[in-house]
Amino acid sequence: MERNFIIAGFGGQGVLLAGEVLANAFMHADKHVTWYPSYGAEMRGGTVNCEIVMSDDEVSEVNKADADFVVALNQASFDKFLPKIKNGGCMIANSTLVKEEKTRSDIKYVFVPITKSADELGNVKMANILALGVLAKTSGLLNLAIIEKALDSVLPSHRKNLLPLNMKALKIGYEYDLFAFNA
Amino acid sequence: MTCLVNKKILTKGNYAIANAAVIAGCDCYFGYPITPQSEIGEFMSGKMQELNRAYVSAESELAAINMTLGACSTGAKAMTSSSSCAVALMQEALSYAAADELPIVLVSVMRGGPGLGNIYPSQGDYFQSTKGGGNGDYKLIVLAPSTVQECVDLTYKAFYLAHKYKNPTVLLADGLLGQMMEPVEFGAYPYPVVDNSDWALTGAKNRDGRVIRSYAPLADKQCEFLDKLYAKYKNIEDNETEWEEINTDDADIVLISFGSTSRNVKTAMKKLREKGIKAGFFRPITLFPFPSKRLAELSKKVKKFVTVEVNMGQMVNDVKLAVNGACPVELINKGVGAPPSADEIVSRIEVL
Repeated sequence: MERNFIIAGFGGQGVLLAGEVLANAFMHADKHVTWYPSYGAEMRGGTVNCEIVMSDDEVSEVNKADADFVVALNQASFDKFLPKIKNGGCMIANSTLVKEEKTRSDIKYVFVPITKSADELGNVKMANILALGVLAKTSGLLNLAIIEKALDSVLPSHRKNLLPLNMKALKIGYEYDLFAFNA
Repeated sequence: MTCLVNKKILTKGNYAIANAAVIAGCDCYFGYPITPQSEIGEFMSGKMQELNRAYVSAESELAAINMTLGACSTGAKAMTSSSSCAVALMQEALSYAAADELPIVLVSVMRGGPGLGNIYPSQGDYFQSTKGGGNGDYKLIVLAPSTVQECVDLTYKAFYLAHKYKNPTVLLADGLLGQMMEPVEFGAYPYPVVDNSDWALTGAKNRDGRVIRSYAPLADKQCEFLDKLYAKYKNIEDNETEWEEINTDDADIVLISFGSTSRNVKTAMKKLREKGIKAGFFRPITLFPFPSKRLAELSKKVKKFVTVEVNMGQMVNDVKLAVNGACPVELINKGVGAPPSADEIVSRIEVL
């Protein structure tokens, strides 16, 4: 089995870090995994994305043409990556910043007010990890314990104090009412 | 910025290379930043100081490579790293290092060219590294990793081969490998210590002084020197040529690629097999020495070779030389950027 993920948003929303945590989680789950960032003349406020490919065997390709799951934290990312989702794939969108429009009938849409929920938690910077919680639950590929392990390996020692807050954000995303989605 | 031995971590190709260099015993690093390899210098700037080894942020690429040359003359394990248009600036020193027989390790993380080009992945410096931009007859040993794990393993090997053969050695990666992350394991440095007591400039206490130079004023001396140098290159070809091949036994078409591109090519080969096309996969790991002999052998039984490259067609020339007309050699290429997808390679092969 091979699955690929695109996480995208504004520069500063932490999409590269979320991707790094996701890739680490797959590594801890003994999967083959690659993480590849969009890089170039990127800047704060511009859009940025990363691609994570998880596979039971060698990863077949880096920088794939399509994706099984897209996490779009802003409208520009939603518009850009919607056409890249495979038939039967899934769009997870931050409904705080993305219009809830469903123009494709062959994919599943998951709208969650990610930024708003992170804000309510007390730190809007947690939006990326909260989104990861939604992704983990929706994909059914990862549990919270393994993402916690991944968070622990990604956070540098001087940021370890943020682990509990990150875990809270992760849980909010993971436990978000899936039945609220209109598949 | 931790340096890890015997632990599996997820890291970028650039950090993997830097970390491996430290484990390989790199005594000195000299560098000047350029995308897409700046993380190497970043890592070294912290780690080398922490370990009381030498790190110099040079004022230019010329300075960096010449500092590396100087450090190597003392027998130290020294390296520099750079990218395309800046490696171009280093060519003179590489020619001198080849002539002086100094074990420089150069990490070249390719980006788009020619000129300033762009910062996207590319394989456009195959010629630059294997044919050289410096003057005279010389060869660099060139190793081409295709995964982040190979970035580690071949960095170890680059230090070993450089010192074993007293020859400048290039680790030829690209922007894709430099920037992507994959799980890697840093094993202990697996190679023996190379004795350099008979040539290194270590201060002439209790022995005669030594001179390392590349100037032979008499014509016959230079002929003698070149013969000796080329005997060494022959020795390297006989002993160090390395490649990976899959499904070549019964193959009609063999796909040839190096570096990060070969990941997609391997998948394309599998897809062709699923369609009933007898495809094989061949990946030179050493670009010099190039696995010409093996390709010549294969050319007697395969119907066609197809090289896949992210440049305008460079390695294809070496494949043609090796095959020497025994069968057709085609090229599938893309000028710059991430490699063509497996599906694209498959559909282009179907219309060849």
